[in-house]
Amino acid sequence: MKKVFVILTILTLLIVSACSSKSTGEDAGAEDKKWSPEKPIEVVAPAGPGGGWDTTARMVTQVFEEENLIDKRMPVVNKAGGGGAVGWAYIAGQKSSNHHLFVSSPPLILVPLNGQSQYSHEDFTPIANMIADYGAFAVKADSKWNTLTDLFEDMKTDPTKISVIGTSSPGSMDHMQFIKIAQAAGVDVKKVKYLSDPDGGGMTALLNGSVEVYSTGVAETVEQVRAGKIKVLGITAEERLEGEVLSDFPTTVEQGIDETFINWRGFFGPADMDPAAVEYYTAKFQELNDSGAWDEMRKKYGWNEMFITGDDYKDFLNKEREEMQVLLDELGLAK
Amino acid sequence: MEAFQGLMSGFQIAFSLSGIIFIFIGVFVGTFIGMMPGLGPISAIAIMIPVTYNMDPALALVMMAGVYYGAIFGGSTSSILLNAPGVAGTVATSFDGYPMAQQGKAGKALAIAAISSFVGGTISVVLLMMFSPLLASVAISFGPAEYFALMLLGLTAISSLSEGSTIKAFISAILGFMVVTIGIDSQTGTARFTFGNANLLEGIDFLVIALGLFALAEVCMLIFNRKDTSVSDNKNLGSMKLSKNDIKEMAGPMGRQSFLGFIIGVLPGAGATIASFIAYITEKKIAKNPEEFGKGSIKGVAAPETANNAATSGAFVPLLSLGIPGSGTTAVLLGAFLVLGIQPGPLLVQDHPDIFWGIIASMYVGNLFLLILNLPLVPYISKVLRIPRPMLISLVIIFSLIGVYALSFNTFDLYLLLAFGVIGFLMRIFSFPAPPFILAFILGGMMEQALRQTMTISNGNLYIFFTKPIALSLIILSLLSILFPIIKNRIKKPVG
Repeated sequence: MKKVFVILTILTLLIVSACSSKSTGEDAGAEDKKWSPEKPIEVVAPAGPGGGWDTTARMVTQVFEEENLIDKRMPVVNKAGGGGAVGWAYIAGQKSSNHHLFVSSPPLILVPLNGQSQYSHEDFTPIANMIADYGAFAVKADSKWNTLTDLFEDMKTDPTKISVIGTSSPGSMDHMQFIKIAQAAGVDVKKVKYLSDPDGGGMTALLNGSVEVYSTGVAETVEQVRAGKIKVLGITAEERLEGEVLSDFPTTVEQGIDETFINWRGFFGPADMDPAAVEYYTAKFQELNDSGAWDEMRKKYGWNEMFITGDDYKDFLNKEREEMQVLLDELGLAK
Repeated sequence: MEAFQGLMSGFQIAFSLSGIIFIFIGVFVGTFIGMMPGLGPISAIAIMIPVTYNMDPALALVMMAGVYYGAIFGGSTSSILLNAPGVAGTVATSFDGYPMAQQGKAGKALAIAAISSFVGGTISVVLLMMFSPLLASVAISFGPAEYFALMLLGLTAISSLSEGSTIKAFISAILGFMVVTIGIDSQTGTARFTFGNANLLEGIDFLVIALGLFALAEVCMLIFNRKDTSVSDNKNLGSMKLSKNDIKEMAGPMGRQSFLGFIIGVLPGAGATIASFIAYITEKKIAKNPEEFGKGSIKGVAAPETANNAATSGAFVPLLSLGIPGSGTTAVLLGAFLVLGIQPGPLLVQDHPDIFWGIIASMYVGNLFLLILNLPLVPYISKVLRIPRPMLISLVIIFSLIGVYALSFNTFDLYLLLAFGVIGFLMRIFSFPAPPFILAFILGGMMEQALRQTMTISNGNLYIFFTKPIALSLIILSLLSILFPIIKNRIKKPVG
């Protein structure tokens, strides 16, 4: 038995040392224009396993590796905490590294605006946006509201009777997507009652009638709609989505509310990434976006294509931030 | 009859050669990872997800389910032997399991844990099979008001978890409440008590507290008391054989807690932890000899171990029949479903009856495997206690560090762990009990959130609790639970 434990101890020590070995030394010579990775590329998901960021990172690296688009390994590393803030702080510490990437979405804009992260999209190098997702507002199947307009009319008359639930905290995605649309419809957004349930109890609360509206992602609603338990009053897209059930969801725009909310998801590098490396990654993401394998992945997860790179991506992010800043100021949530 | 046919096809999967092999792999990996202090079902499932990428979905999910309940099954080991609960659901097991091990009855404690896990697991699978569609409505009947009331009932346990000074128990609980408020407040998005430190935004993880207050504090005590050989140098492992009396004593808690644990497990968000605490408390309340609890009572091990395994099966009710994950672990399991292209939801039983029934059927086989796997291992595992003291202490420290580091690969968590080790050590020295701290920490966060959600819904009106029958009954039950010992004393006194 003693031997077994000696071996166990050694193994344990090995695990510890393996975990703690950080990437050593940065490559100095990137003089010539063409750049390609010289060692494994660390892809950070600034959240725990299982969520949207983690899934996107894992699927992207999987296709990159399986299709031999990039011949270096691309391990996904989870840096969870602070709604992304911990992961972003980690990447900020890898300044000018060409072998670090991370995945992000609207929280990269919202969390810093809420004062919970000192780093925002401007502190990183945007490389490519890959996919778009949309928000959905669901009510119980037997609810009296059949359109977003019905709901917003009632919210205008008596906002105290309607509660909205979402997973993220106030000022973050589930809240802001609802606020953005409600404001466009003329609702006094300061009076909207929003509850957060970070443990994912939103659907339960909707089904048992504790709350009236559930603000979430489109994919989360599909199964309950199919079972006839809930109905989706509107999704935050401009045009209807494709696919069974999905194509039945009315958009905000077709209901006369001229506003959308895009849950974009893309990849970034640390600040001061070598332009040649940015060029390399942009080309690789373009190849990925055009590949059949990635198309299959998108279909499997119900993601929509939204490919933007370079300066266009920067402009898009800046515009998103401006819009959110205005809304958060109105709610008194901006820091 | 449709259900019967479904179950038969489920058993076909579970009893096929590949089914048996994958169930075995699942429970083996689960129980092994569960035994490591610091690694629980979440990490076990996350580790296994990539393995399943190209597997047959039914087989893959049967295996993942095995990993889940296997990890809960094996989780008690480190609680009992090292006082290092790696999973929240096994904290209550350490209250009596560790004292038993210190008294040289480690073998017996492990055997009790294995048998009651098996009984709890098996009875609850029968319940799952028979009532799953029926209980689906129960699972969603709990809104914020009901959860608040349930947490309140759980909190009444503080007084029963105190040995000696009740005041000290309450101070300890208040500390737990204070610590859980650290981090971003879910209802306003404001950072509380983080002092501008991004590492604290997410709050402090349960594992940091549990391993600090229990495992590291214990290590400190061992070092501190090293000259005192009489108490803790007990290398005797004891026989793992249970006498007829032992079994008689276990039977009651095992029977009751299989049902209670299952029901609590069905409620999303409640889960194995609350089930095990409530099991421990109810058994202590109705026991003829409550003073034995906390000192190595057989019932004190059997009750939480039955309940946490029963709750694990219960957690499958909302997941399989509604597609709603009730806990962090089932949320990761839901992720595993998605990776395999299966969308769990209310229609799972119609769309994929093979998966629905295959998982249920596999749990019978899995629990049996776990018993066969765990019981013969007891003599070997309990030899951990025979490892020379300095080596054992280093191992506990290393495993605690790994467990906490694996949470988010953040070295800051390690400093927190050490800090809580010191706090736990000081609490021991000044005889402040740690269980109320951890109970308040576990319940406090959910309780505050539920209360504030309720108040938002009702626009700040407390009357809402009187309009919800379930919430009201739970609140009355909590009051009774507090008043009961007082009334009992009043009645006793005039007679005696």
